[in-house]
Amino acid sequence: MTSDGLLIRADKLGKWYGNVLGLSDVSIDIGPGITGLLGPNGAGKSTFMKLLTGQLRPSIGSVTIGGRAVWNDSEMFRRIGFCPEQDAFYEDTTGREFLTGLLSLYGFPESEVRERAERALAFVELLDDQDRLIRGYSRGMRQRLKISQAVAHEPEILILDEPLNGLDPLSKRKVIKLVKEYRTEGRTVLVSSHVLPEIEALTKSIVLVHHGKILAQGDIHYIRDLIDAHPHIVAVKTNDARGLAGRIVGEADVLSVRFDETAGAVFFETRNRDRFFDRLTRLAADQGFDVEEITSPDDNLQSVFDYLVGK
Amino acid sequence: MSLKPTLSVFRFSARLVRRARRTKVFVALSFLPVLLAVILQINRLASPGRGLDGLEVFGNVVMGFSLQFLVLLLSLFYGTSITADEVENKTLTYLTTRPVSKAAIILGKYAAVAVFLLLLVWTSTIIAFLILNMDRLGYGPAWAFLGKSLAALSLGTICYTALFTLIGTFLKKSVLFGLFFCFGWENVVQYFPGSTQRFTIMHYLKSLLPGIGMGGQSSGIESFLMFRLEPSSVMMAVITLLVLTVVFAWLACRIFARKEYLFDA
Repeated sequence: MTSDGLLIRADKLGKWYGNVLGLSDVSIDIGPGITGLLGPNGAGKSTFMKLLTGQLRPSIGSVTIGGRAVWNDSEMFRRIGFCPEQDAFYEDTTGREFLTGLLSLYGFPESEVRERAERALAFVELLDDQDRLIRGYSRGMRQRLKISQAVAHEPEILILDEPLNGLDPLSKRKVIKLVKEYRTEGRTVLVSSHVLPEIEALTKSIVLVHHGKILAQGDIHYIRDLIDAHPHIVAVKTNDARGLAGRIVGEADVLSVRFDETAGAVFFETRNRDRFFDRLTRLAADQGFDVEEITSPDDNLQSVFDYLVGK
Repeated sequence: MSLKPTLSVFRFSARLVRRARRTKVFVALSFLPVLLAVILQINRLASPGRGLDGLEVFGNVVMGFSLQFLVLLLSLFYGTSITADEVENKTLTYLTTRPVSKAAIILGKYAAVAVFLLLLVWTSTIIAFLILNMDRLGYGPAWAFLGKSLAALSLGTICYTALFTLIGTFLKKSVLFGLFFCFGWENVVQYFPGSTQRFTIMHYLKSLLPGIGMGGQSSGIESFLMFRLEPSSVMMAVITLLVLTVVFAWLACRIFARKEYLFDA
């Protein structure tokens, strides 16, 4: 199976929910391979995916797949598989019934529906549990079942909205393996997440989304460089905050120092977190500083994005 | 539009309707006419001197209850659920990301619900009829009476279900609105004199009931259902109900195809 001509294209795409902006002026081409859509919660990733899968109509601009607008073009879904973010199912059906029911909507003969369902369940390792009610499935099983309904008809484009959300590490590994396996020759996979390491584990090609706009697009090294340039706050609780600060404040990568006497902590703003931690470890070992706790209060994607947009 | 996608949705939805948790409650509710029939039959048998006619009791009480309450309630809850349940449970995405048109989704789901409700209503009505008329099962006119009653109940079921399917596609509080409609508008306006009562679906359903439209010679259902009824002709009633059903279903498909459904976080 190839995906010739199946290019996902958004052109000046915008979406408003009343007065609330969901997505603004997004222009992007997405081709074969795995592309990661990275952004904090509320960034517009899900809005973009809903526009891509025809659940929402663009307020402005266009979104096309293989040159065809998706909104109300149901035939397009023979070529697209979508795994929604929400943990929602027809709870009183079994995994097999859920899959066969949805597969029957493609017009496959009954025998093919059964075969495809079995193949998809085997792919996500749910064959042993196929006759249990979905209501009794664990979070990881539910997530894998969601993926199975997206891949069962073997689409050329697979769109996964936060497929790793809320999963335990073992389940995450399984899902990552599944997504990577699915990316066979020519297939396009678009995955969203708000967690950088999750996206990193899946792909090198990343699109950064924030406040409904595309902030940056490129491979993981480019994005990593952007993120590493972000000044980090490191809070250190120690018995001698001022002494520690005196030792560190002269270093070039330290931008500012602030004390919180009541918490007994000192806050360093550094441009190079790795070098800062090296130095801190050495000082603790060599100079005998009693370090009780080290935290990074802004070590999250939101603060990285705030930095990138210049807040 | 091809029928095949609608049939696929119908089969899938029929399974979901059967499995739905609310179904147990509504199956039990649909058998209230049977319970009513059992109680009334025991009462009849216990007081043979009172001369209560089984057919009359069936028409007065069972049909009154089924038409004015059961059909309305079943249609309301199942009709509105066609869209509302999918949106509330956030499962709509699974249907709208398949190669079936949105009209096929609505029509397939509507057909599944309507067939299920018809089976419920027919089963309970026929059992109630048999219980109340067990002493005259060979009496032809009684079966004709049952046939006409079933026809009225069936048209009521498909018409109300189509209406509530339509309401469910565009109103968030569709059940609340439906309750006001059923037990406010329908239950009150049907008793208005003159042509105003023609603005209710119930008017046309009552016009179909056996004994009505025969020069006022009604047979036993007048006390419950015929108060101030100025019946339309049977032909007019049937055509109006069928046209309304088609219009409601068509509008539901149109709205569903154009509307964006957002899930609450």
